[in-house]
Amino acid sequence: MTAANLALRRQNKAKRLQKVGRLARGKFVSPDNVPQVLKRIIEPGDILCLEGDNQKQADFLASQLASLERKDLRDIHLVMSCITLPAHIQLFKKGMIRQVDFCYAGPQGTAVADLVKAKKFPVGAIHTYNELYARYYIDLTPRVALIAAAQADRKGNLFLAANTEETPAIVEPTAFSDGIVFAQVNEIVDTLPRIDIPADQVDLVVQAPYPMHLQALFTRDPAAITDVQVLMAMVALRGIYEKYGVQSLNHGVGFNTAAIELLLPTYGERLGLKGKICKYWMVNPLPTMIPAIESGWVESVFAVGGEVGMERYTAAHSDVFFTGRDGSFHSNRAMGQLAGHYGIDMFIGASLQVDINGNSSTVSKNRITGFGGAPNMGCQPAGRRHPTEAWLKVGAEANPGPGSPPGRKLVVQMVETFQAGRVPTFVEELDAQDPSIRKALHGVTPVMIYGDDVTHIVTEEGIANLAACRSIAERQAAIRSVAGYTPVGLKRRKRDTEELRRRGIVQFPEDVGVSPREASRSLLAAQDIKGLVRWSNGLYDPPPQFVDW
Amino acid sequence: MEKFTKAFPSKPLKARTAKPWALAGVVGSGNLEVLLERAGASGTMECHVETSIPGYKSSWLAALADFATHYPAGGTKVTIHDQGAPPVLVNLRLRQAYDHLTGGDK
Repeated sequence: MTAANLALRRQNKAKRLQKVGRLARGKFVSPDNVPQVLKRIIEPGDILCLEGDNQKQADFLASQLASLERKDLRDIHLVMSCITLPAHIQLFKKGMIRQVDFCYAGPQGTAVADLVKAKKFPVGAIHTYNELYARYYIDLTPRVALIAAAQADRKGNLFLAANTEETPAIVEPTAFSDGIVFAQVNEIVDTLPRIDIPADQVDLVVQAPYPMHLQALFTRDPAAITDVQVLMAMVALRGIYEKYGVQSLNHGVGFNTAAIELLLPTYGERLGLKGKICKYWMVNPLPTMIPAIESGWVESVFAVGGEVGMERYTAAHSDVFFTGRDGSFHSNRAMGQLAGHYGIDMFIGASLQVDINGNSSTVSKNRITGFGGAPNMGCQPAGRRHPTEAWLKVGAEANPGPGSPPGRKLVVQMVETFQAGRVPTFVEELDAQDPSIRKALHGVTPVMIYGDDVTHIVTEEGIANLAACRSIAERQAAIRSVAGYTPVGLKRRKRDTEELRRRGIVQFPEDVGVSPREASRSLLAAQDIKGLVRWSNGLYDPPPQFVDW
Repeated sequence: MEKFTKAFPSKPLKARTAKPWALAGVVGSGNLEVLLERAGASGTMECHVETSIPGYKSSWLAALADFATHYPAGGTKVTIHDQGAPPVLVNLRLRQAYDHLTGGDK
């Protein structure tokens, strides 16, 4: 074998770019030529990466790809974080995709379930974010990556603005394996505010006719927080945050954790917890964190992505948020997920279904969503070695054996016992265990957070400390004890609940010093979006759908 | 619309409790009101439920029975007017009414 044969990919890349020829001026492609260019740079059998997570989308490139036909594009192994756009679904309907490996299909969850039923969705696996990014460096290295950036300069350097997201995690493995990187940008300028991706990792650039889609995914209107959620937030603050001295944490995107953020400057302050908990955050710039930041609770926030409307606020608070030399906000999905995996005391989130073993899932028979990033944070990182107060305290309760680490990360599921429409959250068996779903996933049940990783479940009934349970039977009894009046909860035995309560494994609100009488929305530091704008001194610019004044 | 009445055994309310009645919540879509009065025999909690959503009697009775076990509520009358409150709200309003009636005494 000659040395040249070991660089076939490089030769092949040069050949593909040669075929583009005069359809591009240097690196720059006009929007009209994009379908022709895509036909020439993508070959059958390619691993193709299409950038798109739950917030940021290379939507123009996706639509141009979906405008092609099967004769132009077939036998594609698609790798992408999130199947979120109708254009993504088109690729499957047109029969272009040989296999897909992805993480999440939020808004297209129903369409994905339909494709699975029609056997038009040949899935390799559903991943967590960092798991998929890891495979980009191992066996799923993209041949072609279609990405999105805010701006390019004349050389093809890219500025990613607040939503860096997963762009570096896609570009690096592609660019350093002789793959082709094609970027859509909102505009082309002479000088970038800062360079996030250097030009020599970028092969082609198109100025899209419209700005890339950005979803305000993490904005929660305080007006929609209920008294019950306030009660749960009080219970979590006293029974978990205060008890373990949680310093560093990740919050999910739900209203439950938004309620906690809004209780810090009021209830939390009264409990004397300021400076003792909630100092270091791995979380997107949530508007509901503004009152806590303004009240001096927060030391730092690192984020996987930006949030629409928080640009001016984050730029003005560079001591708290990570910002570039240009002064604007910076995020990084892969690094944020890594930080949330190893660096924090606690992950707290919600789910649609929790079974009697503490496994949770958002998948139902008619809606296949997937995981996103929650499992990277909502798990026990077996590679962790550094101790913190909270980590050791939970570890001591979990009574580690001689072959176990001394500490445990707090992995908390905070759920109301019923979802909207009187659908019980607690179930004997997850919908995700449906045989047709398991078959499509090669025998894997799509579990969001495994029961073995969960240390606590918080409901409006109280707290179940799963870490302190000594057997599977005990864990099930603890879960039934806080499952309220769902069928799972109604099966509890009073004797079991009383015994677990005596040992502190099950705690009701009064057991952690919470008076339900106080559980009222009036405790929230802000009552609505307008209140958040006031707290921000006018620096928060809520997206129009949240403005009613 | 569904209406039912049931009395549950419960330990007597603490004697020092002063208030004659307490109210929590409002009757409005997705909400409910709980009126708790000092009345009746000292060993029972007498419940009157009126709900706009029929078919959940067993859940109501289970929740009320648990409440009568957890808290000394003998010698009270509970009147509930429900306008489709989520199940999770029922317990909270009960506890709030009880807290108001007893002034926090357990």
